[in-house]
Amino acid sequence: MTLFNLVTRSMRKNIKHYYLYFFALILSVVLYFVFATLQHDSAVIAETNRSMNMSAGFQVAGILLIFIAGIFVIYANAIFLRRRSREIGLYQLIGLTKGAVARLLIIENALLSAGALLVGVGIGILLSRLFLLLLMKLVDFDGFIELNFSVAAILQTIFVFAAIIALTSFQMVARVYRSTLLSLFKADKSEEHPKQPKSFLSAFLGCLGIVFIAFGYWYSGHMLNALLFLNMLIVLATTISGTYLVFRVSISWLLYKLRVSKNGHLGLYNSLSIASIMHRMRGNANSLTIIAVLSAMTLTMVAVACSFYYSTEKDAKQIMPFHYMVLLGKDEDKDHQVDQFLQELDSEGIGYTASTVESLYITGEIMGDDFPTWLNGSTYFSIVSEEQLREAGLAVQAPAAGQGTVYDASLAWILKSVKTPYEVKLLDGPKEFSIKIEQLGDGNVINFPSPGTQIVVPDLVFNEVRDMIQGSEVETFTFRTINIKEDQDLDKAYDISRQDKYTAFSFSYYEMYKQNVQNNGLTIFIAGFLGLIFLLTTGSILYFKQMTEAEQEKNNYATLRQLGFTSKEIMRGIVKKQVFVFGLPLLIGLLHSIFAVKSASFMFMSDITLPVTISMTLYVVIYLIFAFLTVGYYRKIVKAAL
Amino acid sequence: MEQKTVLHAQNVRKSFGARGNVQEVLRGIDLRVLEGEFVGIMGPSGAGKTTLLNVLATIDRSTEGSILIGDADISTMKDRELSAFRRDKLGFIFQDYNLLDTLTVKENILLPVSLGKMHKRVAEDQFKSIADILGISELANKYPHEISGGQKQRTSAARALINKPSMVFADEPTGALDSKSASSLLGTLEDVNKKRGVTIMMVTHDPVASSYCSRVVFLKDGMIYSELYRGDKTRQAFFQEILKVQGVLGGDSVDTL
Repeated sequence: MTLFNLVTRSMRKNIKHYYLYFFALILSVVLYFVFATLQHDSAVIAETNRSMNMSAGFQVAGILLIFIAGIFVIYANAIFLRRRSREIGLYQLIGLTKGAVARLLIIENALLSAGALLVGVGIGILLSRLFLLLLMKLVDFDGFIELNFSVAAILQTIFVFAAIIALTSFQMVARVYRSTLLSLFKADKSEEHPKQPKSFLSAFLGCLGIVFIAFGYWYSGHMLNALLFLNMLIVLATTISGTYLVFRVSISWLLYKLRVSKNGHLGLYNSLSIASIMHRMRGNANSLTIIAVLSAMTLTMVAVACSFYYSTEKDAKQIMPFHYMVLLGKDEDKDHQVDQFLQELDSEGIGYTASTVESLYITGEIMGDDFPTWLNGSTYFSIVSEEQLREAGLAVQAPAAGQGTVYDASLAWILKSVKTPYEVKLLDGPKEFSIKIEQLGDGNVINFPSPGTQIVVPDLVFNEVRDMIQGSEVETFTFRTINIKEDQDLDKAYDISRQDKYTAFSFSYYEMYKQNVQNNGLTIFIAGFLGLIFLLTTGSILYFKQMTEAEQEKNNYATLRQLGFTSKEIMRGIVKKQVFVFGLPLLIGLLHSIFAVKSASFMFMSDITLPVTISMTLYVVIYLIFAFLTVGYYRKIVKAAL
Repeated sequence: MEQKTVLHAQNVRKSFGARGNVQEVLRGIDLRVLEGEFVGIMGPSGAGKTTLLNVLATIDRSTEGSILIGDADISTMKDRELSAFRRDKLGFIFQDYNLLDTLTVKENILLPVSLGKMHKRVAEDQFKSIADILGISELANKYPHEISGGQKQRTSAARALINKPSMVFADEPTGALDSKSASSLLGTLEDVNKKRGVTIMMVTHDPVASSYCSRVVFLKDGMIYSELYRGDKTRQAFFQEILKVQGVLGGDSVDTL
């Protein structure tokens, strides 16, 4: 019998050992291939090329994907090897040299991987069309979508997986050469045994873990200053190390205390959950930490992307409160352009309202105490009349007599934390004028881009300021505002305004909205795609781990059933364990991500509770599917145990 | 004095395999075990010793025949009832100890009473007295990997006794022990049998082990071949008798390897 014969025979006979590794390989290939196909799709390239950020984002995502796929496959291979170590030992026992066994494994690996590539690319071709449709829907692409069979994507996938397979082959060879026969035969026995924790050190480290996390949470709410980047690193470092300590020390310590308090009367359910968990705590601490952190990362990423996408329209409206806002210059030309545009709207039958808004562009100082020092000094303000805005169709809350409301979409995240009321002192040479600011308004009242923080004041105050600057160098800007009545006409109006002759219409609400939809659509797609991959990876790793554990504890279940426990009773204990194994990292991940999203919420002008809740719920649901699969696997093992 | 019958098996048959390739392992066994007996089951390999034990101990089902333990007919019970019955009425000692290596000695021993109605304080007292008899009180908080094979088997025995079973089944309990630990364990089992009146049925191929019994049943080819009662004989004399029967029975050369 040749080596090749041996390979095919052993593969046929051991299908159930292989399917886990095979599944992991196929899953990685499918996901990577779909991504590569999109990367090489002309429509996607056209979309991403619009913005540097997006193409860079796609590239980073691609690299991240290779990384994750690599780790996942290597992890699955490690489990696969441990399950088969007895077999590997047996080959050596019957006289095969280590070289021959290594060759055998490499041939096997090559066959498996080739099969996985074939199947994976096949599934990938079907799925990529679905994902492309989804992507184009998300970025609001109207054109005809055709998906070409991408040779480049296949080559790229083959290339990446050839590298990963080389790594796993190396892993196999190392396993064969570096383990002794005895250790190969003992590999499926777990060697860890719970030790009595050193009480003082454990209590200290256990508390430290919780303190680290609490500090990270607290600090994440206080990191908006000049050292933002450093602060973020501090938060990451404390929460991650805190998470590790919690899994490694705090929980073992708590469980140990609980167990001691039971004084041997542990009971069936605790024996199957607590005892089993403690038995593997050291080995599990790493993977549970990684899973908690990865979950937190994924959740944050998806929730933030989801929020961006969700608030696209609102955010665009806040930055661009008017559909069009044209700043009139000294010459008559811009005024003329506006008139011409309005005529064209008329002839197209598009309903609109048009008006005029003035702003006084003047320097001033904010006199608030808790204004961040790094933004101190005098800045420019645009003073706008509340009544003019109202006439133009922008319903802002009327400030009380003699007072003003501040608007600035780009600085809102800082101004939010400044306590009101405070004073703004407007300066024009020696002359001064103080306005009491009673609150911060939503977004802008003048379209982007316009310099200066806007202060909306009652007409009376507006006129007083105008009187003060009479004859000085302070400028008065006049804007023509246009609002299209029906939203569905925006597209048509945009087609008119984007003509070359309308140089004054270079910024418009609709253009910004469109652009944001594209950017955010692509962001949510990439985030969702990566999130799905992280989720599948973490879920599978937990599932694989539990599968191994279930097999290691098979004898225990047999004993318990002989002692007269029903499989239902045994399952209750196992479910308790799964609640811990799956629930704890999920809970910690969720908690982490809630604080992370909270500290990132300064980027949003609108309320993001809804999109965050939706994305987190979706994540939890998919994650729990893995928990149910795991419980199902255990049930099978327990039922078959006797 | 009339002794109560603990176990009464009538015409127990057990066959394995599908149609066309049926192998009958037990071919009509009648056996009555009285309260307080220490019954050894011996026989050459393939005689059906372990199958008989499994069937009597409700771990496996007989193909035919009735088995009464106490007043309960276990051959007609449902799986769920059997489980409850095993937990409440029977004790088990296995060749490989079958301790849960994630649990301490005490936790292992207390496991069978964990879902029952036994009060925690009663269970604690019970544990103390059994651990004392078996000499493992000192090991209560040790894990199975920290103790010797003999100690593991004592733990296993303590676990079998904790719920005050009507009967204890032991499958080659000394199979994995060295001779010193084996005789010490057997001595303890004999003690428990005599002092606490626990009925024990033990499968073994070792004549030394079975010489501790009060009665030895020999199986051959799925049927009872003969029986020996110890009576007032010394262990040594009983051992010689067992050897004689075994010699007649033959075919044990492989088993004693």
